[in-house]
Amino acid sequence: MGKAIKAEGNATKYDGNTKDIRKFSLWNFWVCSTALKLLLIPGYFSTDFDVHRNWLAITNKLPMKDWYVEATSQWTLDYPPFFAYFEWFLSQFVPGVVKKDGCLDIVEVGQFGMPTIIFQRLTVIFSEILLFVVLQIYINKSNISEKSANFVMASSIVLSPGFLIIDHIHFQYNGFLFAILIASIIAVKHQNYLLCGALFTTALCFKHIFLYLAPSFFVLLLRAYVLDFSNFKFKSYIDLINIVRWSHLFKLAGVVLSIFAICFMPFISMMPQLLSRLFPFSRGLTHAYWAPNFWAVYSFLDKVLTIMMLKLPYVHKFISNFIAPPLIPSSIDEIRERVAHNNVGTRGLVQDVYFVILPQIQPKLTFMLTLFYQILAVIPVLFNPSFKRFIGSLTLCGFASFLFGWHVHEKAIMLVIIPFSFLVTSDRRLLTPFRLVVAAGYVSLFPLLHESQDFLIKVLYTLVWGIIYFFALRQTTKVSSSVQRRVFFFDRFAMAYIALLAPLVITIQLLDVMKWKYALLQKFEFAGLMVYSIYCAIGILSSWMGLSWLYNFDEPLWL
Amino acid sequence: MAVKKRVLKESFFASPLYDFLSPFRPVASQWYAEYIIVLFSLVIRCAVGLGSFSGENTPPMYGDFEAQRHWMELTVNLPISKWYWYDLPYWGLDYPPLTAYHSYVLGLLGSLLNPNWFQLDSSRGSESQDLKSFMRFTVVLSEALLYIPAVIYFTKWVGKRRGQSPIGQYIAAAAILFQPSLILIDHGHFQYNSVMLGLTVYAINNLLDGFYAPAAICFVLSFTFKQMALYYSPIFFAYMLSKSLISPSFNLPRLFGIAIATVLSFGAIFAPLYLFGGLHNVLQSVHRIFPFARGIFEDKVANFWCVSNVLVKYNEKYTQIQLQKYSLYATVAGLFPAFALVFFYPKKHMLPYGLAACSMSFFLFSFQVHEKSILVPLLPISLLYCSTDWDVLSMVSWINNVALFTLWPLIRKDGLILQYGVLMLLSNWLIGNFSFVTPRFLPHFLTPGPSVSKVADSYRRRSLLPGNILWKFIIISSYCAMAVIHVLDLFVLPPEKYPDLWVLLNCALGFGCFGLFWLWTYYQMFRMRNKTLYDL
Repeated sequence: MGKAIKAEGNATKYDGNTKDIRKFSLWNFWVCSTALKLLLIPGYFSTDFDVHRNWLAITNKLPMKDWYVEATSQWTLDYPPFFAYFEWFLSQFVPGVVKKDGCLDIVEVGQFGMPTIIFQRLTVIFSEILLFVVLQIYINKSNISEKSANFVMASSIVLSPGFLIIDHIHFQYNGFLFAILIASIIAVKHQNYLLCGALFTTALCFKHIFLYLAPSFFVLLLRAYVLDFSNFKFKSYIDLINIVRWSHLFKLAGVVLSIFAICFMPFISMMPQLLSRLFPFSRGLTHAYWAPNFWAVYSFLDKVLTIMMLKLPYVHKFISNFIAPPLIPSSIDEIRERVAHNNVGTRGLVQDVYFVILPQIQPKLTFMLTLFYQILAVIPVLFNPSFKRFIGSLTLCGFASFLFGWHVHEKAIMLVIIPFSFLVTSDRRLLTPFRLVVAAGYVSLFPLLHESQDFLIKVLYTLVWGIIYFFALRQTTKVSSSVQRRVFFFDRFAMAYIALLAPLVITIQLLDVMKWKYALLQKFEFAGLMVYSIYCAIGILSSWMGLSWLYNFDEPLWL
Repeated sequence: MAVKKRVLKESFFASPLYDFLSPFRPVASQWYAEYIIVLFSLVIRCAVGLGSFSGENTPPMYGDFEAQRHWMELTVNLPISKWYWYDLPYWGLDYPPLTAYHSYVLGLLGSLLNPNWFQLDSSRGSESQDLKSFMRFTVVLSEALLYIPAVIYFTKWVGKRRGQSPIGQYIAAAAILFQPSLILIDHGHFQYNSVMLGLTVYAINNLLDGFYAPAAICFVLSFTFKQMALYYSPIFFAYMLSKSLISPSFNLPRLFGIAIATVLSFGAIFAPLYLFGGLHNVLQSVHRIFPFARGIFEDKVANFWCVSNVLVKYNEKYTQIQLQKYSLYATVAGLFPAFALVFFYPKKHMLPYGLAACSMSFFLFSFQVHEKSILVPLLPISLLYCSTDWDVLSMVSWINNVALFTLWPLIRKDGLILQYGVLMLLSNWLIGNFSFVTPRFLPHFLTPGPSVSKVADSYRRRSLLPGNILWKFIIISSYCAMAVIHVLDLFVLPPEKYPDLWVLLNCALGFGCFGLFWLWTYYQMFRMRNKTLYDL
C-alpha cells in the first residue's frame, strides 16, 4: 500500500510542473470509439451499403476491363480506379461464410444477411485506423507549444459525428479517404511538397470529389515548390525562365503523372466510358434532399415567390415594373402553367429542378461561380504561401464548391470541416465561424438517417461532441494579443443560432413521429427536410462570410 | 494526512476514465464532465438498443419485450379491475401495481403516436421498427429520469463528505453507469430494472441526507414497481428501526413518520386496485406477484439450490411446501448477521455493504430466483465504486464481471453476443482493468496520458486486483475458468447426456464466486462496523 501511495504522489507531482512529458495519444479515443462503432453494426445502413457490396463483387469477379462497363446493378462503379483497387483488395479477405451469404454476387439488388454486414462494417472500422495513424503522426511531429491544441483538433476529427454518421451508420469509407487528404495537408505543414503532391494525387485517385480542393493545392505547389522569386530581378523576359525551379517542376510532374498513370493506365482504352461514370452530368442541380447550400436558399426563394405571387397577384404586378418578362414569368397564368407542369411530370425521378419564378440554373453557371470564389480564395496563397494561408484557401475552396457546386451532397460538408479544423486552433476569432459550420453541417447530416432508431444516437452523439469540443477548442485556441483584434463578429447571434438547432431538430422529429398516426402529415415530409436545409444553409453561408472576411481583411491573423 | 487525501483523489488512477476526464479538472469546467458522462452513457445505451431483444421473431409467446408491450396494451385498454385477470396464460400481469401504472402512462404515450401498437389482442406480437424504437426510447427515458440522477447524486454526496475531488466523484459515477449487466438486461434483453434500482438509490440518498419518511416512500415505490426490491427490505427496515429506536436515542416522531409514510404510500399504490375492483382484486394482484406455485428455481441460475441440485434432486425428494420452508430458513440465516450488524451499527457507510450482503443472501438461498435477479445485489455492490480502497474496487469490478458472465446463457439466447463482448471489454477497459496492456504492449508514443503514461515504474497496479495474494489467485483463476467455459460454450458441443453441462458449469462458477464475495461483504461489514464514511 505504502509503495502505491508513493507512486501516486510522484504521479501527481508530475502533473503540475512538467508539461513536456505529457503524452498525447489517440489510443484511448480509438478504443472507445471502436466500441461504439461495433455496437452500431446491427443498425441502419443506406443503399450505399449495397453500392459498396456491389463494387466488392464487381472487382472480385470480373476482369479489370469490365469494371467500368458492368451495369447489372444500378449501383455502377463510379469512383476512380484506386478505390476500385481498394475494393478488390478488400474482396481478397472475404471469408467463406460471407461469400456464401451473397456478398460477392453480381445481382441487381444485393441479397445478403448479417455476415456480409459484419464483414463490410469491419472493413470500414479497420480502414479508418489510417485516420488515427495519420493524426497521431501529426501530433507527434508537432511543436511542443502547439501539441495540446493539435491534439484537441486531431481528436475532434477522429471522433467527428460526421464520420460516425456517414461511415459507420450510413456506410461509406470517408475516414480512410480523408486520412489520405489529411496526410497531404500535414505534408504541407512540414514543407514536404513533393510528398504533398503525391498524397493529394493519391487521394484524388481514390475519390474525385477532392478535385474541389485541387485549386488550392495547385497554387500552393506552384508558388511554394515550383516558382522561386527570391533572386528574381527583371532584366528581360529571359529572366522569367529562371523563376521556375525546373528540377522541382520535373520531380513534381513526374510523381503526379506516374501516380495518375498507375491509376488510369489499365483503363486507358476506355477512358471516355470511365469519365462518363465519374462525372455524370445528367443529374439535377440539387439532390432529393437539398444540401444546405446557396441553391437550397435559391429554391426556397422560388417556392416562396411562387406562393406569394399566386396568393397576392399584386406582388407580381409590382415586381414586373422592375424586371422584364424573360427573367420572370410574364403573367400569373404562366406561373400556374409552370406549377402544373412541375407537378404533373415525373418529378423526383428525372431529378431535374425547374424553377417557377426565378431564372433556371445551368451547370455552367454553378461551375463559374465555384471557380470564381475558388480563385478569390487562392490568390492570397500566390503572394504568401504559408501553411495558414494555404489551409484558409483550402477551407474556402471547400466552401465555394459546397455552396455553389452542381448536385452537391450534404456529405460534402466534410470537405469544409476537416480543413477548417486545422485552421481553427490558430485564433480564437475563427472559432465562431467554425462553430457555425460544424453545428449546421453536422445537423444537416441528420436527415441521412431517417429511421426512428437512429434518432437518439445521432442527436446525443453530436451533442456530446459539441459540448466537449466547443469547450476544448475554446481552451486551446489562441487569443490574439492586441486588444483591438479581439473584436468578435456576430458571436452572440451564432450561439443563439446554434442553440436554436435543438428545438428545430426536436420539432421536426416530433412531426415526423406524428405521421404514424396522422397520414395527412406525410405530405409535409418534404417541408421538414426543407426547414433543415434552409436553416443549416443560413449557418453555413454565414460561416463562409465570416471566414472570408477574416481571410481577406484581417492580415495579422495569417502571418 | 496530506498524502492520504491525495490517495483519496486518485481512486481510479491509471484508468482511461481518468485520462478522459482529467482535462476537465479546472473548477470552471467540472460541470462538463457530468454532462459528458451522462450523454456518453446514454449513447452507449441507445447503441446497445440497436441489437435484438428477448423473444424477437419467436411466436407464439415471444419474450420480455412482448410482455412489457402487452402490459401497456392491457393497461391502456382495460379497466383497472381487469388488469390482473385478463388472459393470464399469455403474459398476464405479474408485477406490482406501479409497473402497471408505468405501463399505463407509457402505453398512453405510445397510443398517442400510433394507436395500432397497443390495440387490444390484435397488436400481439407487434415488432415493427418504430415500435421497437419507441419501446427502447421509454427505457432510456425511464433510466435517464430515475437511475442516472440518483447515482450521480449518490456519488457526489459520498465524494463531498470524504473530500474526493469532483472529477473523482464523476469517475465513480461513470464506473457505476457503465456497469454492463444492467445495460444489457434493460436495453438489450428489454426490461425496466433501472426504474426499481433508481428508486432504491433515491431511498439510499434520502437516508444519507437523514430524510427518513421520504426514504421509506422511495423504497415502497421501488418494491411496488418490482417485487425483487424486497431483497433489500431487511436492511432498510433494520437501519430505519435502529435510527428511530436506539441510535442515538428513542425518536418517536421519526418512528411515526416512517410508519405513516410507509403505510400511506403503500396504500396509495394499491388504492386504485381496491377502489376499482374491491378486495379480491388486490388479493389477485398479490397472488400474481408472488407465484409460489412455481418451482424452487427457474431455468439455470447461479444460486445454492440450482447448483446443489446436481447432487440432491430437490424436486423429487421434497414437496414444494418443504422447499419453501427450507429456502426461507436458509435465507433468513444468511441475512440475519447483516440485519443485526446494520441494526447495531446504523452507519451510512454500512448501508451499501449491508444491502449487498442481504440481497446476495436472497439471491443465493431464496425461492424462485432467476438469473436477472443478480442485478439487485449488483446495485449496492456497484455503488461501492465510490470507495477509494483499491481492494474494494477490485472486488467490485470482479463481481461485476462474474455477474455479467452468469448472464451469458440468457444473452446468448437473445442474440446479444456482440453487445456482451463489447460492453465487457469497454467497461473493464474504462475503469482500468486493462491498463496493464497499455504501457507494456503499445509503442511508447501511443501510451496515452496523462495518467497511464505518467505512472511511475514502481506503480504496479495496472489492473484491478486486490493486494491479498489469496484473493488474487481466486480472481485470476476465476477469470481463466470463465474464459475456458466461454470457449467450451461457443465451440464445443456438450455431451449428449448432459445438454446443459456448459450452462451448469457457468452457474457453478458463478455460485462459487458469489458465495465468496458474500462472505467478503460480511468480513467487510464486521471490519468497518466502527469506522466512518471516510474509510469506505
